[in-house]
Amino acid sequence: MRVLIAEDDEDTAAFVTQGLADLGYVSCWVASGTEALRCCREEVFDLIVLDRLLPELDGLKVLTQVRAAGNRTPVLMLTALGGIADRVEGLEAGADDYLIKPFAFAELAARLTALLRRPPLGDTVTRLEVGSISLDLLQRKVRREGREIHLQPREIKLLEQLMRHAGRVVTRTMLLEQVWGFHFDPQTSIVESHLSRLRTKLNEGRVADPIETLRGIGYRMRTDV
Amino acid sequence: MFKLLNSAAYRIAFTYSAAFALTMVPLGVAVYCAADDDFKRQESTHITEETAALLREFQQDGRAGLSDAIGEREVGNTITNLGYALFDAAGRRIAGGLNTPRPPPGWHDIVFEDPHEGSDAARALATDLPDGTRLVVAVDREGLERIDATILSLFSMALVLVLLIGLVGALLLGAYLRRRLSDISGTARIIMAGDLARRMPVSARRDEFDQLSVTLNAMLDRIAALLDNLRQVSSDVAHDLRTPLARLRNQLERALGDTGHSRAALEQAIVQSDELLALFAAILRISEVEGGALGRAFERIDLSQLMTDLGESYAPAVADGDRTLECAIAPHVVVNGDHELLVQAVINLLDNAQRYTPPKTRILLRLAIDDGNTRLTVADDGPGVASADQERMVRRFARLEASRSTPGHGLGLNLVAAIATIHQAELLIEGNAPGLRVSLLWARIPP
Repeated sequence: MRVLIAEDDEDTAAFVTQGLADLGYVSCWVASGTEALRCCREEVFDLIVLDRLLPELDGLKVLTQVRAAGNRTPVLMLTALGGIADRVEGLEAGADDYLIKPFAFAELAARLTALLRRPPLGDTVTRLEVGSISLDLLQRKVRREGREIHLQPREIKLLEQLMRHAGRVVTRTMLLEQVWGFHFDPQTSIVESHLSRLRTKLNEGRVADPIETLRGIGYRMRTDV
Repeated sequence: MFKLLNSAAYRIAFTYSAAFALTMVPLGVAVYCAADDDFKRQESTHITEETAALLREFQQDGRAGLSDAIGEREVGNTITNLGYALFDAAGRRIAGGLNTPRPPPGWHDIVFEDPHEGSDAARALATDLPDGTRLVVAVDREGLERIDATILSLFSMALVLVLLIGLVGALLLGAYLRRRLSDISGTARIIMAGDLARRMPVSARRDEFDQLSVTLNAMLDRIAALLDNLRQVSSDVAHDLRTPLARLRNQLERALGDTGHSRAALEQAIVQSDELLALFAAILRISEVEGGALGRAFERIDLSQLMTDLGESYAPAVADGDRTLECAIAPHVVVNGDHELLVQAVINLLDNAQRYTPPKTRILLRLAIDDGNTRLTVADDGPGVASADQERMVRRFARLEASRSTPGHGLGLNLVAAIATIHQAELLIEGNAPGLRVSLLWARIPP
């Protein structure tokens, strides 16, 4: 897996490169917008991590030009502590995900993994199956070992996200964004509360828990339960 | 002089007085012409009448009678300036003292020899008589010239006087305008030099300058208030950052010294850093909202749907905290706004309603239209807030003493207030007897 990192802050770039190397990814680091654009034209990457503010050519313009050239490589945009307007602009320019600096590496890793494994566009799935759990996306019905489990709409959405990323980490903020559409962190632990209810309903009368909690990071759906 | 003309005040004053003086010139010319014309007409009338009178003498008493009449008139003629002459057919003067060659008949401007003053100009009418003599009646031009000269000199003096008065007036007016303006600019310079409390002088006259000063003072007050707010926020930020930074530093020091617990201390340090980052994020979010740029992308938001979703999302978490969340949400309520900001406002209110209340508290999430006003309310039956503190809560970093021990940065309600402002809603904080009720109120838009 080859990842292009366009980031002008050397410390951040080193931190990301090191983390990605630990995951077995090969990184290529550039520190300016023009270099980033040149790399995208000359080489093929599996992923691009693009800083919003780059010298010479800002990240937004790089992204616009990359997309205009027909390059569909997944792009994760990084930005300094920022606002709503920045995120909306980034997504409109064609970013696939958006992360606000500073971030925990686990958060970045989870999001990059999610982007890499994303099914191609137009490939609609109507049914998800992980281990003993199945989710019919059209009828919104959940079964475990053939027995139907009644869930609230939001619990189904939560389960869907975990199942789509089965075997991989889904962070708390990813769930807040994907299930609730919140791009900020409420003080109240709504993810935890919903997850504990989902877990209780899924596990009723069983021993094996299909949802792992990774403290301080997020959750992971086990594929073997 | 160059300096004076450089001043708009003096320029206006000079121009004004010059214009005033200039109006004297046509006035003078008109008076001069009218007087001159009138006087000449009087002279002609005088001559015509005199000639007629003498002709009557001639008709009654013949040439001798006429000569006598001329002689009588000349003897008595000390006041009027009439002169007479009677010429025979050969052109010799046979009567009258008007020393001039015989003019042809009709009106003429002639020159005669005045026994006292030498050559002099006169207006004359020469009339031929039936016996071949020619009667000349003339009026000395001296009187007219004297009157003309008097009028001219009077008006010249008046013009000079008006110019002088105008000049003095212009200097005084210019100096006055400059003084009033320099009061204002002098005060402005003092304020620029750092005396921010100084204000423009306002006199009791309430004239235009005073009105300008009053407006400038209002502007200065507003700027001072903003500066004050900024200063307050900066010092609050500095103060609020010091505590978590100090704690972070201590944690790191402990991690360095005590190898046994270094992992736990480092984890604590990360928690501390996250809190600091959250504080910064909140400050930036507030300034973004207050900046107002987001207001441009407003759209129709189904507030009922938004709040129903939030109620569903929050109910489990509220229940986990041993409180209850009740929803009373009117359907189909729509406002113009930003979805994410409205969500954030309600979430902040719901977070507060849990954070500052004891277990068993009932929280009410309500949306209603009362009398055309849209009212979004988060209420609780907890301990409430003293009415004296209710106003203070909205301020940045305003954490009430009672809540100092609770985590949080004191920016939640401030952000709600900023969001309310750009949505043109009013933030109301009221007692709920018991508890606290916080509402966003959209006043009915008049049709």
